[in-house]
Order: sequence, then structure tokens, then C-alpha cells
Amino acid sequence: MANFNIDAKKDVTYDAIVIGSGISGGWAAKELCENGLKTLVLERGRIVNHVTDYPTMSDDPWDQELRGSITPEDREIHYKGIRSGFIGENNKHFYANDLENPYTEVKPFLWIRAHQMGGRSLLWGRQCYRWSDLDFEANAKDGYGVDWPIRYRDIEPWYTYVEKFAGISGEPLGLPQLPDSHFLPPMELNCLEKQVKDRIESDFPGRNMIIGRVAHLTEPLNGRGQCQFRNRCDRGCPYGAYFSSNAVTLPAANATGNMTIRPYSIVQSIIYDDQEGKASGVRIIDAETHEVTEYQARIIFCNASALSTTQILLNSTCERFPDGLGNDSGELGHNLMDHTYRIGAMGESDDFEDRYFKGRRPNGIYIPRYVNLPNQPQSDDFVRGFGFQGGAGRANWSRGANEEDFGGEFKDNLMKPGPWEFFITGFAECLPYHENKVFLDRDNLDHWGQPTLAIDAEWKENELALNRKIREDAREMLERAGLKNIVDFDNNHEMGYGIHEMGTARMGNDPETSVLNATNQVHACKNVFVTDGACMTSSSCVNPSLTYMAITARAANHAVSELKNNNL
Amino acid sequence: MKRRDAIKKSALLAGIAFTGPSLLSLLQSCARTDRLNWQPQFLNENQALFVSAFADTLLPATETPGGLDVKADIFIDLVFAKSYDDEAQQQVRNNIDQFNAYSENNYGAVFADLNAEDRKRCLMDHEKESGKFRKSVWGTAVGEEEQPPGFYRSLKSLTLWAYFSSEEVGREILVYDPIPGEYRGCIPLSDVGNSWTF
Repeated sequence: MANFNIDAKKDVTYDAIVIGSGISGGWAAKELCENGLKTLVLERGRIVNHVTDYPTMSDDPWDQELRGSITPEDREIHYKGIRSGFIGENNKHFYANDLENPYTEVKPFLWIRAHQMGGRSLLWGRQCYRWSDLDFEANAKDGYGVDWPIRYRDIEPWYTYVEKFAGISGEPLGLPQLPDSHFLPPMELNCLEKQVKDRIESDFPGRNMIIGRVAHLTEPLNGRGQCQFRNRCDRGCPYGAYFSSNAVTLPAANATGNMTIRPYSIVQSIIYDDQEGKASGVRIIDAETHEVTEYQARIIFCNASALSTTQILLNSTCERFPDGLGNDSGELGHNLMDHTYRIGAMGESDDFEDRYFKGRRPNGIYIPRYVNLPNQPQSDDFVRGFGFQGGAGRANWSRGANEEDFGGEFKDNLMKPGPWEFFITGFAECLPYHENKVFLDRDNLDHWGQPTLAIDAEWKENELALNRKIREDAREMLERAGLKNIVDFDNNHEMGYGIHEMGTARMGNDPETSVLNATNQVHACKNVFVTDGACMTSSSCVNPSLTYMAITARAANHAVSELKNNNL
Repeated sequence: MKRRDAIKKSALLAGIAFTGPSLLSLLQSCARTDRLNWQPQFLNENQALFVSAFADTLLPATETPGGLDVKADIFIDLVFAKSYDDEAQQQVRNNIDQFNAYSENNYGAVFADLNAEDRKRCLMDHEKESGKFRKSVWGTAVGEEEQPPGFYRSLKSLTLWAYFSSEEVGREILVYDPIPGEYRGCIPLSDVGNSWTF
């Protein structure tokens, strides 16, 4: 592939600056570059080239000295992130250093960061679902938060646009609450999943179980290869089969010749020009040399991830914006949301003992929201809803640890697959609460002398009520599906475990109560756009990344047309 | 392996010169078994003998290799050495010593010195008393824990991992398919045979 232009020395003036190169930053870069804008992408970490910088992508367990396990030193470096349960030898290099990047948990909050080119697009769960007007109208209908300034019709063409380029595999279902995407062929359900699906759908009218909709190619697209079912995604995919900035959007942006990407660039603040009444550029700290540099541009896209973007805006103070850029409403940093996580049930099946599967499918099943739908009785216990992810497989040799047995026969039995198991785990919508917030902590500075972020947020009664219903329903569905030895669970994870943090610079119609307008522009500083998770006005119960992609493409194309019309 | 060869090899690995007193002490300490033919990175000799005996009793060789054939004991020691922090390491030493004390009190010798039948009895005692691991979802345990798994079951789990993640088992016994290329959700088990390697 072409080398990236990382020489930002020769030029400090660009048409556009994009802060961050993850899922939304990659899309901003692609759209702006393809529209002819000279674009500087600022990445606080290192360059990660597709394929050549995926050092563990083909490792088998025995290729690593500790076979995937990490050292106490690594656990110290990742002392916060390790709570997720996801960090190992295979992917540790894609998680941020928690020692150099501290944050304060006023209340427990897990903040997973990925500080390199591509950001968390290398690590994400890849589940992709369109939101619907059930989501975009939710705040207006029940009164929590403020109304979204957009509706499904505004974003629908942009969903189609990003899906065609990203590549989303899935099956159309025609559900109004979960609109179909432009799909590549779906992945297959396995024996037990098909059985559970049939039983749930016949026993619970109105509930559906489908194969997950995922950003994986099930046929080649634009030179990218299709999924090989290795399920080693979070090491980086040598085929470019799942969507990441590294494999998909940044190479496209680079191909235009319009992109410069500057690694090791920590954005300290956005510079506001009082005379012009808009932003003139950004000030960065070089992560390696600590040197401060300023870059100018006509428009600035904030895509550093919800909380990092918020941190930058809060730190961008001037006479006009003493409490942070665009914070006239006082809502910047507030209304932090996530999805509840790891509440559900699992069970075993006696069936299909002589059946198996081939391939390690990097995807599971999805049960779309079925509560509090329009024209349906509404719950007295909670507003909004939840969906389930999950899947079935066969137990492997690790089941032996719990068997009251050992010896030669025991060992040889473990060579065969164990019982089929099935699990589901719910993701509940979180309401926007003003008091769930982040703020700058000027007493605790990071490695570069910058104020850190303090996070003060918690689930409230509505989320806990949704979780109780998730657990109850999960057990009931598994029972009715005929599973045995059912365990239902709620790990009571604090916020952040969903890694869907969003909402801290929300969109809205009213500058008095929101930070961004309907096209993601800061109300009072129109050439600054925020299109990462920070912009979200509500959280839905479905995964947000596809919506970030669509919102970003929409806002970037709006920015281009506003520039052409000299409105920015 | 012949005892003399084992002594030579471990002595060489340890960089110990073959002179009178040290040879004698080595012979004495190894008298109880001829198995410690490797140089532990973390465990002391008695603890290493225990881990070897544990792996051999838990996963003995049959028509397929045993725990010792794939060097499960050596890998376990490596994990203790490089993946455990100081506190966990000290806990391991204490736990092995306690396990041996139990074995001496109830069966008259440390675990590695027991005959095959007493080793099995001793393991079964712990098997009956130990708590179970919880199920896990996406890498994290879920559900209520009634009783923590404790040392015995943790070491059992570690030994299973050491065995089944070895290259020999992964490539030769389980069904190794690093690049499946497709997903088929419901095929006859007989088409595959054993479990997939991963």
C-alpha cells in the first residue's frame, strides 16, 4: 500500500483538520479528502499501517512465550483497561498506557482508550445496526434529555452510503425498530442457534433472533478480502475483512493525495479567533518531544472519541468561551451515556451431540428490541428498551477444570467437544442525565502536563430496572428454548464497560440546551464539527458505531458544501 | 529418562559443577524421583517435583501424550515466573507447601513421593473439597460464586491450559485449522473428529 504522508512540517495551513483517526475520524478524513480538501489528520499515537503493523495477527498460542498471557508489568501499564477482560498478549499494543494517561473515577467508570492510528476501530465489536425513529424520537416523546435535531429520514441515505463502502453483512428482516442495512450476505447460524431461534420466535410472538449484523466482508469489496473465520480480529486483520480506519477509510483518504497524517500529536486545544468569530486552528503537543505547534485550517472535525473530544473542548478556553469551546449551554461534559453490559443467561443443550461447526465466526446472534414498541403496551417499570447479543458453541477442553475427574480417560475425553452451550447478554439504553458528567481535573496532570479528565457518572433507576427485566427475560427465553443448567447473571458492571460512551457534547435544536446543531456544528462556532460519540443526544440500545459513521459522512459533506458556499 | 542422565542434564542446566558434596546432595534430593530433568525458573526443586507429579497424575500418557510429554510442568513454572506478580508467586509457594503437608499428614509422604494410587486418592480429596469455576461470557466470569475454586482447581485449570495449548497437542491431536476460510454452522462431528484446536 501507499505510504502515508506524515510530513506536517512543511505546511502548517490546511483546509481541514481532523482530530483523531478512529471510526469517525477515518470517515471524516475520507470524505473531506475525496472532496478535494487538503486535510491534516492529527493522531495522538503512532502510525499503524494495515497488515505490516499487526505483529500478532497470525500467532498460534505456542508462538508466544506465555501463550497469550501477559506479565505483571503489562498489567500495571493497563491497570484500568484490564478490567474489561479483553487485554492479552495478542492485542495489548493497541490499548493505551493507563499510567501515562490517567483519569479520575469520581464514581467507578471504565474508560477504554486506544491511542494509535485507527484507534478503537482496530478493537471494536463490529456489530452494526441502524437506529430508527424509535430512537430519534425517544427524548421528545418521554421527555428525558432534549430532542434530536434529526430524524431517521435525515440520516437514512448516509447509512446506505457508509454501508456500501464499509461492507455490512446481515439479513434483512423488515423491522421498523431496526431498519435493514444495505447488506452483504449474512453469516450462518449454527445448529443450536437455529433451534433456539425457532423456539423463541414461536413461543414469544414479536421477538426475533437473527444473525448479528457486522462490519465484515462476506464477499470481496474494493480490493479487500472476505472474512476467513479465524476470529483474530482484535490483532488486526491481514485480509482487511473487517472495517477499520487502517484497512478502509484512511487508505481511501490517502489515495486522494490530500491527506497528511501527523502521529504523536496530542491536541491541547482548539484556537478561537475572536475577530472572525470562529476557530482558526489547533494547538498540539508532540507526544515525543513535548514541542508545541499550531496548525491552521478553515474547518475542524473533532473525532478524538467522545470523552477525549470533550476534554479538548473543555480545555479550549478563551474570553468568548471561558468554560470551554461551545459551552454556552453548560451542557458540555454532561449527559454521559453508555450501554449496560453483561446481564443475561446461559445454558446447555443435550441435542446435536453428533453435530459440530467449521470456522470461528467473529459474530453471534442478535435479538432486536421488543419492549415498549409503538402500538404496544408500555412497561410501568421503565422507559426505552434493550436488545440481546449472544451465540452458541460447544464447550472445549477447559470444561475439564470443573469435572470431578482426572487421569488418562479424562484427558482423552477432553479431546472431543463438550456440550453445546448458548448464551445471551442484554444491552440496555441509558438515559441522558445532566448529572452524569466529566470535567477537567486541573490538579491531576498527565504525562504532558495537561489537565486530566474526571468522570462522575452512574446508572440510575431506569437502567437498573431495564437490567432486571433483561435478566428475567433472558432466563425465561432460555428455559422455553429447552436449555438445561441455566445460569442467569448480572455482573453489575459500572458505566464504561459497554465501551459506548457518548453524549457529552450533544446535538440539539436549542443552543441554550445543547452544544451542536443538526449538522454537528458547534452552535456558536460553526466551523468546528463534532461527529464522534460526544454528539449523541440519546443512546438507543443498539451499538452506535454505524451511526457515528453515517453522521460523520453527512456532516463532512455538509461542511464541504458550506465551504463552497462561503458559509464557513 | 535414566536417573543419571537426568541429574547430569539438570546439573548442566543449572551450571552446577560435578564435585563431591554437591553431587551427593543432588543425588539425595533427587532420590525420590527421577523426573526433575529440567531447570525451574521460579519453583524450588521440591515445588517443581510437585508440579511435575501433579501434571503426570492429572494427565498421564495414554495412547496420546501425557502432561509431561508436552512439558506442561515446565510451562507452568514459566507462567509462575513471568506472569504472576510477587504476591501471587508467594501464594503459589505457600499453596504447594500446604498441599505437600496435607499429603504427608494423610498419606505419609509429599505428593511426588506417593505411589500412583495414593496420588489419585490425594487428588480426589482435593477434587471433592474445591469450589468450581464460574461460567464466563466474553472473557469474564458471570453468575454467583458459591465457593472460590482454590489452589487445586486453579492448578488443574492451568495444567489443562498448558497441555491443550501446546504445539504438539494443538497440531497433532486436536484439529488444527488456522485459516478456516468459511463458517459452516451444522456439520457432522465425524467429519472433524476431535475438537478444533481453537
